[in-house]
Amino acid sequence: MEYRDYYQIMGVARTATADEIKKSYRRLARKYHPDVSKEKDAEKRFKEVQEAYEVLKDPEKRAAYDQLGSDYKQGQQFRPPPDWGSGFEFRGGPRQGRARAGASHTEEFEDAEGFSDFFSSLFGQRGFGGGAGGGNPFGGAGARAARDHHARVDIDLEEAYAGTTRTLELKRPDLKPDGTLDLKTHTVKVTIPAGVTEGQLIRLAGQGEQSTGGGKPGDLYLEVHMKPNRLFQLDGRDVTLTLPIAPWESALGATVTVPTLGGGVDMRIPPNSQSGQKLRLRGRGLPGQTPGDQYIQLKIVVPPANTPEAKAVFEDMKQKLNFNPRAELGG
Amino acid sequence: MATPNNVPDARLLGEADWIAVTDVCRLCLIDLTEVVELIELGVVTSRGPTPAEWLVPATSLPRLRIAGRLIRDLGVNVTGAALAVELLESRGDLERQIRRLERLVHG
Repeated sequence: MEYRDYYQIMGVARTATADEIKKSYRRLARKYHPDVSKEKDAEKRFKEVQEAYEVLKDPEKRAAYDQLGSDYKQGQQFRPPPDWGSGFEFRGGPRQGRARAGASHTEEFEDAEGFSDFFSSLFGQRGFGGGAGGGNPFGGAGARAARDHHARVDIDLEEAYAGTTRTLELKRPDLKPDGTLDLKTHTVKVTIPAGVTEGQLIRLAGQGEQSTGGGKPGDLYLEVHMKPNRLFQLDGRDVTLTLPIAPWESALGATVTVPTLGGGVDMRIPPNSQSGQKLRLRGRGLPGQTPGDQYIQLKIVVPPANTPEAKAVFEDMKQKLNFNPRAELGG
Repeated sequence: MATPNNVPDARLLGEADWIAVTDVCRLCLIDLTEVVELIELGVVTSRGPTPAEWLVPATSLPRLRIAGRLIRDLGVNVTGAALAVELLESRGDLERQIRRLERLVHG
């Protein structure tokens, strides 16, 4: 695994005070929070910052981390020293993170809490078995119920329309005979139903944290996010397609084949249509109790006048149509 | 070592579902008092006689989850989170509109 320089990630010196670390966290969290940030790799950066803050804000964890010394560099290969953590009592584990399910068919969960292997190897084992996760108000204490896990899954619009499946690799803590915990990979196949929309939740009963006391396991919640689409733009369950048409189709009307999520359909363009005009195909958006519609935004594309014949046609229009597009400007 | 594949019970929390506020807390990692305040601020609708018995539509969960994350991760208060959620949605609407217009102009 790779060493993580938490001070570098937080942009503070190794001698930074708790207040300086807190201020830096607030600034970086605001900059990279995935719900508000437009920065590239915002989610990855935010997760790194959260992980770094989890360690540096806690005096025990920070002191233990500092014991590794300052010789390691960010990204350098790392193994915890044999006497790692002796003399320290970490309280609480990582807060409820957001593991990510990526674009591939076999999704990789970074760990059950969304933090790196580096963090898990140093603090994770204690965190998994501990009480309330820092910042997680539902961690409970004592003989608590197993926690739910939350993850994100990115899907294509076509998959949302037709439904799809994902194979998820979940890493779960497993109690070893010597009393320590190990991460074990567990594979589950998930059917994502047709008509799922941005931000919707899918519950996988019993796929969250496994109870060590024989109690009910937690659930896994997948939050669906839609990848941008080359042709269609999504708004709730409605989709919008920009449809290029020729000037004569706009002027005279035409029947054209329009791509929809369910395949091509014939649509009539009324005569005298204008660029930017919107037409609706009812029920051709994402399926659901109230199916979405597809909107067609017309875009008139003028052919180039690059041949004598084409120029003659435009000259003919100029002579015969008596058309002034700037009439409203008084021109 | 991966265990053999299995197919867990996957259920989409959809348009027809109404979720108890206590379950909302669990789903959105948010305190009950914060959910109640977000409902009172009009961020999401609810039905039911008393706050403890309120139900909210599952379609509101994305809003509440974002609000919960902003409260938890950025330390904003409930009113700030409510404002941010509405501004983020408004920003999303404007961005969609810009993209539509860009497609109209640039293809």
